[in-house]
Amino acid sequence: MILITGPLYSGKREYACALLGCGPEELAGRAVWDVQDRAADCADLDALAEELARYEVVTAAEVGGGVVPADPGERAAREAAGRLACLLARRAERVVRVFCGLPQVLK
Amino acid sequence: MFTLVIGGAASGKSEYAEELILASPLRPRIYIATMEPFGAEGQARIARHRELRRGKGFQTVERYTGIAGLKLPAGGAVLLECLGNLAANELYSPAGAGTAEGAASAVADGVDALLAQCGELVAVGNEVCSGGRDYAGDTERYLRTLAEIHRCLARRADRVCEVVCGIPVWHKGA
Repeated sequence: MILITGPLYSGKREYACALLGCGPEELAGRAVWDVQDRAADCADLDALAEELARYEVVTAAEVGGGVVPADPGERAAREAAGRLACLLARRAERVVRVFCGLPQVLK
Repeated sequence: MFTLVIGGAASGKSEYAEELILASPLRPRIYIATMEPFGAEGQARIARHRELRRGKGFQTVERYTGIAGLKLPAGGAVLLECLGNLAANELYSPAGAGTAEGAASAVADGVDALLAQCGELVAVGNEVCSGGRDYAGDTERYLRTLAEIHRCLARRADRVCEVVCGIPVWHKGA
């Protein structure tokens, strides 16, 4: 599995398509994206990471860069999103951060 | 040469962008200021940036929207600061394009127009997309518009760097 991370709207999915040599329609079967949103209500992040790691490509937006949110729900969601990304990075063969559409290999 | 310099708030991106212009032998040095001077905080921010540029031979041109319409002396070194303001002006100012698509193309076309006139361009962008999307009101549309502008200019740019604590981290070129 290849983990693609980066800021919101940085071109992660477009890069995933380029990487897999496929269009957006085929991507839906081979990759899963915005997984940071799935972390929020997840009781078992390890199990979720394991499940997501079956895809060829997983993309997760970096959402932990701003100030800690005042709302407890948002705070927990952001925390879970970051932890999930770390769990995925550990399982990934390759980790790439896409910044302004430009990929940088981190692992 | 076109360089895109991006960084978070107070990351040292302006100072670094300025250094790139100062290292260029091209003249004149032109600073395109895009911030509409609203309120005391805005005035103070402008005064700080003016102070930073003092004595460095910049001609300041103020332009808040529609930079494609600017006529500049040929072959100069141009510093465009900043894309975050331009995106906001194009989205929300009465003189702006109004829509996300319109704002993105106004800035991209504007940069193309600048590139056709100058010898060196440094554009300063703002990293604002790493803090989630749970903002009030229309902020997400703003984030998406600015991110599209960044990606679009990164494709055109010869060099792209992210400034962290005043240090450039290169993502393209250099």
